[in-house]
Amino acid sequence: MPEAMDASPGAAAGGLAGRLWRGLRLPLGDPLAVFGLMIYVLFILTAVFADQLATHDPTEILYTPDYDLAADRRPGEDGYILGTTSLGRDIWSQLVYGSRSALLIGLTAAVMVALIGTLVGLVAGYFGGWVDAVLMRLADIAFGIPFLPFVIVLSAFLEPSIWNVVLAMALVLWRDTGRVIRSQVLSLRTRAYVEAARVCGSSDLKIVFRHIAPNILPLSFLYGSIAIGWAILTEASISFLGFGDPDTISWGTMLQDAYASQALSTRAFHWFVPPGLCIILVVVAGFLVSRGYEEILFPKLKE
Amino acid sequence: MSGMRQIAGRLAQLVFVLWAVATILFLMFRLMPGNPLAAYIDPTFTEEQQRILMARFGLDRPLWEQYLIYLANLLRGDLGDSFFYRQPVFDRIMELLPNTLVLTFSSLIIAYGFGIVVGAWLAWARGGLAERIVIPVVLTTRAMPEFWLGMVLLAIFSFWLGWFPAGGTRPPGAEYDSLLALYASRDFLSHLALPVLTLAIYSQGLPLLLMRSNMLEVMREDFVTMARIKGLPRWRVVVLHAARNALLPVATSFAIAVGYQIQGNVVVETVFSWPGLGRELVNAVSASDYPLAQGAFLMIAAVVVVMNLIADLLYGILDPRVSHA
Amino acid sequence: MTRMFRMAAAAMLLAGAASSALAAGDRIRELKLITRPQAAQPSEFQFAQIIAQEWRKLGLDVKVEVMPWEQMADVVWYNRDKWDMTAWQMVGRPERSDPDELLYNLYHSSTSAKGYNFVGYSNPDYDRVAEAQRREVDQEKRRALVFRAQEILAADQPVMMLVHPRSTFAFDKTVWDPASVVNQGGIGIKNFWTFVSIRPLGGQRDIVLNSSDNVQGINPLWISGGTDSWITELVWDRLLRIGPDGLPRPWAAENWEWTSPTSITVTLRPGQVWHDGKPLTAEDVRFSFEAAMGGEAPMYAPFVRNIAAIDVDGDRITFTLKEPSAAFLTSTLAKINLIPKHVWEPVLADLATREENAESHQEKMPIGSGPFRFVSWTTNEEVVLEANRGHWSAPAADRWILRIVPNAEAALGMLRSGQINFLADFPGDPKVLVDAAAADGDLEVVSTTDIGFRYVAFNNRRAPFGDPAFRRALSSAVSRELIVKAAFKGFAEPSNSIVSPALPFWHDPAVDNMPTGLDLARQILSEAGYELVGGKLHYPDGVRETLAE
Repeated sequence: MPEAMDASPGAAAGGLAGRLWRGLRLPLGDPLAVFGLMIYVLFILTAVFADQLATHDPTEILYTPDYDLAADRRPGEDGYILGTTSLGRDIWSQLVYGSRSALLIGLTAAVMVALIGTLVGLVAGYFGGWVDAVLMRLADIAFGIPFLPFVIVLSAFLEPSIWNVVLAMALVLWRDTGRVIRSQVLSLRTRAYVEAARVCGSSDLKIVFRHIAPNILPLSFLYGSIAIGWAILTEASISFLGFGDPDTISWGTMLQDAYASQALSTRAFHWFVPPGLCIILVVVAGFLVSRGYEEILFPKLKE
Repeated sequence: MSGMRQIAGRLAQLVFVLWAVATILFLMFRLMPGNPLAAYIDPTFTEEQQRILMARFGLDRPLWEQYLIYLANLLRGDLGDSFFYRQPVFDRIMELLPNTLVLTFSSLIIAYGFGIVVGAWLAWARGGLAERIVIPVVLTTRAMPEFWLGMVLLAIFSFWLGWFPAGGTRPPGAEYDSLLALYASRDFLSHLALPVLTLAIYSQGLPLLLMRSNMLEVMREDFVTMARIKGLPRWRVVVLHAARNALLPVATSFAIAVGYQIQGNVVVETVFSWPGLGRELVNAVSASDYPLAQGAFLMIAAVVVVMNLIADLLYGILDPRVSHA
Repeated sequence: MTRMFRMAAAAMLLAGAASSALAAGDRIRELKLITRPQAAQPSEFQFAQIIAQEWRKLGLDVKVEVMPWEQMADVVWYNRDKWDMTAWQMVGRPERSDPDELLYNLYHSSTSAKGYNFVGYSNPDYDRVAEAQRREVDQEKRRALVFRAQEILAADQPVMMLVHPRSTFAFDKTVWDPASVVNQGGIGIKNFWTFVSIRPLGGQRDIVLNSSDNVQGINPLWISGGTDSWITELVWDRLLRIGPDGLPRPWAAENWEWTSPTSITVTLRPGQVWHDGKPLTAEDVRFSFEAAMGGEAPMYAPFVRNIAAIDVDGDRITFTLKEPSAAFLTSTLAKINLIPKHVWEPVLADLATREENAESHQEKMPIGSGPFRFVSWTTNEEVVLEANRGHWSAPAADRWILRIVPNAEAALGMLRSGQINFLADFPGDPKVLVDAAAADGDLEVVSTTDIGFRYVAFNNRRAPFGDPAFRRALSSAVSRELIVKAAFKGFAEPSNSIVSPALPFWHDPAVDNMPTGLDLARQILSEAGYELVGGKLHYPDGVRETLAE
C-alpha cells in the first residue's frame, strides 16, 4: 500500500517503528507547536467561560430604548465591543459563543476521525486476510467520495445541524488515518516483541491494545489535530453555501451572515474579519501541533 | 506481464468503487423521506398531473426496479433528466465540466510551480530566518477558508482596484467560435485570474511542504553526499541532483491534488459566479433537483477516482522501491 | 417603555394567580412558527423572531422552527392539519394586478382542501362576495365588492398581514436616460416596458442586467423560474399586456370588444411577423390558446379553463366563455404566449405520443414575435437577446444581456464597476444599495411598493386559531412599524390587505392603519375569555384543547 499517496508529508517516510515509542506525549519541544497548544488553551478557556465573557445573548435582537433596531453599530458604539450585525445582534458575543461550536465540532470530529481510523487501521493491519480486504475496499470507496459535496448532500437531507459535518467526517475521513495506521501496524506486527507476546500466549486483543496501539498513538494524534482544522473549515464552507445550522452561532454562520448582509460593501471589517481570524488561528494551531507530532514521529526532518 | 495484470486489477477496483459510490448515492437520494418531486409539483396540479410527472421521472416504479434502470442507464452514460431544467443531466454536466477542469488545472499548475520552487529554496535555506517566516505563512494560507480569501481578493482587485472582472468566464454578450477560442482569449484569462489566484494561494502549501521535506530527505542520501564530496558547487548539487529526485513524489501528488481540488472548487465557483460543476451541484441540492445533484456528484467522484488511480500507477512507475504486494 | 411593560406584566401575573382557583380552560400548547433560514430569507427570519418574542409577552410559548423552502412547502401544502403558523410570501406578478386571483384563490373555501387556501379559512359571507366580484363586469360595482371582501378579511384576520415590501432596483444613469425608465405600479422599474423603452445616452447600447437564479428554461409553454419569465415576456408577444398602470392594454391585438358577458372578440394588429420571417396569423393565435388547453402545457391549463370555444374570422378572433369573468383580460389574454403554429404543431404532435410534455422541449433557437429575439444561452452564465428591429414597438437598446450572478455582494460590486448597468435582482439589504448609490453618484435607485406581500399564516383548522378573536389578538400584538423598521430596514409598507396600495383602484384604504399594541392584544384576549394562569395563557373557561390529528 503506497502510503505516500497521502496528502500529509509525514506519511511519506517509512520504516520508523523503532522511533514510535518516543511519541505519546505533547510536542513540547517545538516552539511553534507550543504556540499552537497555547492557542488551543486560549480558545478552550473562551469556550468554557463564554457565559462570563459574552455581553449579550448572541441570538437576541437588540433594540434601542425607543424600539429601533440596534443594527450596524460600529465597535464601541453604545457599548457594543465589536459593534452589532445588520440584524441587531452583538458581534462580540457571537464571536465568543462561536468558539464553543468550533471546539465542539473540531474536537468531536478529530476524536471520531482518529478513533475510527485507528481502529480500522489496527484491525485491518493486525488481522489481515479477509478482514483487511473488506476494510481496505471500504477505504477505497471512502477515497472515491468527494468530501465537500458529500457534506452538502448530507446536510440537505438531514436537519440542518453542526453535527452533519462531524457525521460526514466520521463516515469518510477515517480513510487517511486508517490506511497510514494499517501500514504502520503491518510493520509493527512482525517485530520481535510482538512475536514474543504471541508466543507467550497473549490474546490478540491484548497484543493489539497493549503492544501495538501505544506505538501508533502519536500518528492518530497527528491526524486528529489536522482533522480539527478540517472540521472547522468544512463547517464554515457549508454555512457559507447556506446549508449550515441557522440556530447555532458559529464562525461560519457569522461569516455567512456578514456576507449576506454585505459587510464587504459597507466595509464592516469589525464584523467580517474577526471570525475569519479565529478560524485561521484555530486551524493553524492544529497544523502547528500536528507538525510537532510529525517531528516526534520523524525526527530526521528536524536534524 | 505482472504490470499489465496490476493495471487490470486497478481498473477493476476503479469500476468497483464507482459502482459503490453510485449505489450509495442512489440510496441516499431515494431513501430520503418525502416525495422527491415535492418541490416541483405545483399546488395547482391535479392528481392526474402529479401522477404523470412521477411517471415521467420513473418514480412510480418499485425501488429495486428504479435501481436497475439507474445502473443500466449509467452504463450507457445516461444520468436521467433534471427535475429543474427538464433536460438530460449528462448534457448539462458536459457543458460545465470543461470550465471546472480549466479552473482546477490552471490553479494547480501555478500552485505546483510556485510550491516546488519555493519548497526547494526553503530546503536549501533551511534553518534560517526565511524558514521561520515562510512556513507559518504557508500554514496560514492553508488555514484560511477559501471563500473568505476569495471574497477579500474580490473586494480588493475587482470592486476596489477594478483590475479584474468580478465573475463569469466572459464579458457580457461576447461570442466565440469554440470553447477553445474562448479559453485562448484575453478576456477569459482576465476572468480566470481571481478564482485561480484564490485556489492557487490555497493549494500551494501542499507541494511546497512536500518538496521541502523530500529535498531534505534526498539531500542526506549517498549520491548527494558523493556529489558534495566531489566538490560540486552547492547549488548544482541541490538543483541537479536533489531537486530532480525529490520532484517525483511531488509530481504524483499532483494527481491526488486534482481530486482534492475539484471537490473544494464548490465554494470558489460560488464566490466568483463561475459556471462550473461545483456551483451546479450546490444549486441542484438547494433546488432538490436530485438527478442533477446525483449526476454532478458522480462526475466529481469519477474525476477523484480516476486521479487516485493515476497517482497510484504513477507512483508505482516513478518509485520502483514501492512494491504492490 | 420597558418599565411600563414590567408593571403590566406584574399586574397580569397577580390577576392570573388570583383567578387560577377558578376553572380556566386548558393551557395553550407550545405554538410553532415556521420560517425559512436566515441565509435564504433574512427579513422573514428576522420578523419571525420579533413576532415570537412579542407573543411570548402575552403568556404564550412560541417556538420558531426553521425549514428550507422545500420542506416548508411540503408541510404547509401537503400536511394541512399538521402545522400551527408559518411565515409566507406572495410575490407580485403582473397578472396579480387584477385582485381576483388573490381574493378568490387565497380565501375562497372551495380552495381549502387542495388549492391556495392552505390556511383553511372558511366564511360563507366571504365566499359569496368573492364569487360575485369575479362575475361582475361593471368596474365600479366590482370595486365595491372588492372593498367589501377586504373588510371581511380585516375583521376575521385569517392571517397576520405584515407588509408589502418595496422592491428595489437600480441602473446606471450615465448609461441610460432616467426619463426612459418606466416604473410599473406594484412591479418596479424592472419590467417589460422599461426594457422596450429604455434609451441609451452614449455608446453603451446593451442592457446588461443580473439575476441571482439560474435560467431554468426558455419555453413559452412552461411557467418555470421567475427569471425565465423576464425572457419569455420579451421574446413572445401576447394579445394584451398589463400596462404600467396595472390595467390591460392592447398589444398584439389592436382592440377588444365584449359582445356579451361570455363572449369577447379581439382584432389582430396587422403586419406582425415571427422572428423567422413568417407572418403571424389569427390561426397562430388560435393554435396558441389551444396548445394551452391541450394536455401538453399543464401549467397554463388553469388560465384557459374558462374558454368554451375559439372562432377565427379573418384577423378577428372570438373567445366564448363558459361563465362571465371580469379577470379574463388580465389572467388569460395577457397571459398566454403567442407561439408559431408551424414550429410547434409537429413538436406537440410528437410529444402527444410520449410521456414528456412541452415543458421538456427546449428549442435550440426559440421563435417568438416579441420586441427582442433570442441569440444565445450559455449555461449558468448568460442569456443574450437582441432588438427585433422589425417589431412595431422596437426597443431603443441594441441587446439585452442577462448575467447570472449568484450573490448580492458581487451584483452590487459589478454594478458599481460598470460590469452590469441594470440591477434587476437584489436579494441584499436595500439600505446598502441606497448608501452605495449615494457614494457612487452614477447610480439611480428606484424602490416601488410591491403587489406581493409578506404575512404570518395561522392554520385556521387548528385550535386555537379557529377562533377569530384569538387571531385578531395575535395579529394586533405586534406593531407593523416595528416590522417595517426592524425586518425590512424601512423598505416596506405596513399592510392589512392582500390588495396592495400599489393598486389604488382596488385597494380599500379603510382597512389601513390597524391599531396595534400588547395592551390591545391582552384586552381582546380577556374579552374573549382567555385567561392567564401563572403567567401562561389558557383557553376560555371549559375549553379543552383538541387537535384533529
